[in-house]
Amino acid sequence: MAFAVQDSGKGPAAALRVSPHAERGGLKARERRVGWLFLAPALIAFVAVILVPFLRALGLAFTRYDLQTPVPEFIGLGNFHAILTSPEILGSFVTTAIYVVLATAGSVLLGLSWALILNQPFRGRAALRAMSLIPWVLPSTVTAFVWGWIFNSRFGVLNALLTSLGVIDYPTAWLSTSGGAMTAIVITKVWFSVPLFMSFFLAGLQSLDKEQLEAARVDGAHNLALLRDHILPHLKPVMLVVIVLGVIGNLQHFDTIFALTGGGPVRATSVLSIEVYRRAFDQWDIGMASAVGLLWVATILPAAWFYLRHLLKGA
Amino acid sequence: MSSISLKNVKKSFGAVDILQGIDLEIADGEFTVFVGPSGCGKSTLLRLICGLDEVSAGEIVIDGEIVNDVPPAKRGIAMVFQNYALYPHMSVAQNMGYSLRLAGTDKAEIEKRVGDAAAVLRLDKLLDRKPRQLSGGQRQRVAIGRAIVRKPQVFLFDEPLSNLDAALRVDMRVEIASLKERLGTTMIYVTHDQVEAMTLADKIVVMHAGRVEQVGSPLELYRRPANLFVAGFIGSPRMNVLRAEADERGTLRLENGTVLPVTAPAGARQVSVGIRAEHLSLSDDPGAFVLRGRARVVEHLGSDMFVHVSVDGASDPVIVRCPDEMELAIGSAVSVGFEAANAHLFAPDGQRIVSADARRSAA
Repeated sequence: MAFAVQDSGKGPAAALRVSPHAERGGLKARERRVGWLFLAPALIAFVAVILVPFLRALGLAFTRYDLQTPVPEFIGLGNFHAILTSPEILGSFVTTAIYVVLATAGSVLLGLSWALILNQPFRGRAALRAMSLIPWVLPSTVTAFVWGWIFNSRFGVLNALLTSLGVIDYPTAWLSTSGGAMTAIVITKVWFSVPLFMSFFLAGLQSLDKEQLEAARVDGAHNLALLRDHILPHLKPVMLVVIVLGVIGNLQHFDTIFALTGGGPVRATSVLSIEVYRRAFDQWDIGMASAVGLLWVATILPAAWFYLRHLLKGA
Repeated sequence: MSSISLKNVKKSFGAVDILQGIDLEIADGEFTVFVGPSGCGKSTLLRLICGLDEVSAGEIVIDGEIVNDVPPAKRGIAMVFQNYALYPHMSVAQNMGYSLRLAGTDKAEIEKRVGDAAAVLRLDKLLDRKPRQLSGGQRQRVAIGRAIVRKPQVFLFDEPLSNLDAALRVDMRVEIASLKERLGTTMIYVTHDQVEAMTLADKIVVMHAGRVEQVGSPLELYRRPANLFVAGFIGSPRMNVLRAEADERGTLRLENGTVLPVTAPAGARQVSVGIRAEHLSLSDDPGAFVLRGRARVVEHLGSDMFVHVSVDGASDPVIVRCPDEMELAIGSAVSVGFEAANAHLFAPDGQRIVSADARRSAA
């Protein structure tokens, strides 16, 4: 084009004018303005429903605010000092850690195994895949009641099964022992999480190059070597996301635990979510509940930060 | 070193028959190319030989042993895949040494064999790289290197050059040809590119719709195609075909009565006359040759040019190859001729008619 202008003898670029169709502020300016418009509702809702209450709770953590103190009273780090000297609350952290490790490890292992099975071609695979999602679709209270009945000491299927197999002689009150209750809430959560984790792993498996596995077979790889050398390395990014999501989800988990054991027997399954709930709504000690809640959030933050960083790096 | 023989090998997926009974002998050290259009079953056949898929019927024999139920790793074969199928999380050296590592070979030996193969393929400086840091040609060489390291009895190549650009493809073709000279191993190579087939093969197997159309050396296929399909598939540009009718004396005429300079053997009626572009002569003098027509398209290739001529009395245009020095205007009247010895005659069912002329030229 530059040559054409010079050839026509009208002189160089100074004579060029801007097209009247030009967008004000650049080519993408309009898109940016519309983008903010679409973002606004979500942003307003986030500030009103999440950010403001969170900041208020943050403030309450430094106050005494219970049944005897109708107006919040600033006490500095008093609540945190009480937490550090309370074996009950410190025990809650340990209980939470045990629960998170067991539930996450169980969900990841079973989710991966289930995905590997559902990735094999066999008759009825599609139907089985669809059915696998049922535990995840069920409301969590229903899940809790189903498992509550399974573990029930008098009518439960588990006792019936174990007695008929001769493993135990007398029915056991599973939910009344601390080990049994912990096992029950972990199994319930794993049962609930496996479908979701399986979906993640299955999506990952389907993006694995079939030729790569065939090449490995020709190279002499048996099933275990395929899993170790090819499938697991391929799933590593998915694995990271799933573990982090699992840790976050299990740290936050409340409903099935509350419905199954209510944190008991005594405090055996009293994870942080239950602890905060009890402090706030059983004992109406809002200041203390806020302080525990703040520490609880602090345990989630590293995992959440890691997850977000991974997510943003990918985008 | 290994010979391979296929005995009535069939493969179907559900109700679809992909291979309908393939019989083939591949001698020890032979470079055999399976060529054919997409969907003809050539890659399926290779996968059966490799052991990645199971045969539906028939026998695959390697070195006198039926290997139908032998897993790929134990057939003494190595395969180079179309998309390279490198292991993305392993370095070049790990990719190449993987099979040896699985076999429990000791580290020093693995290192030596990987090093030797890398030197041959000029990969020695890239051994620590990951596949994603390599160019297409380099990846292809790693895939070949991975196969070499195993010292297989048979090499299988599944369209190994189809993902490379034209210039690189020529380079890699030369590289594979020199590999074949150096190793002397039995090789089976699948391609849809007849140029690759012609330049690399000791023996070409032309496949079409799950059947073998013809087996022979490149020049045999080129000089004596067994049927119209092979005639059209081997050679570039495609062989020209003129539909003609023969009278009792074997005189061949086009639709408009033009008499062709070749005669059909007794008994033939409808005859397809095939002539390659390089065997046609072109003149801008309309009276010089028997076929009259007009030049429609002229393609200059530098050394040669292809002239597409619509011939009076023929339904399809013919392509004539001539030296690129002729001045020819589009639409100008031309004439085209050929010698009887260069004509291939085919019956209505597509099979070659063995005429006295053809017999003499073959002898």
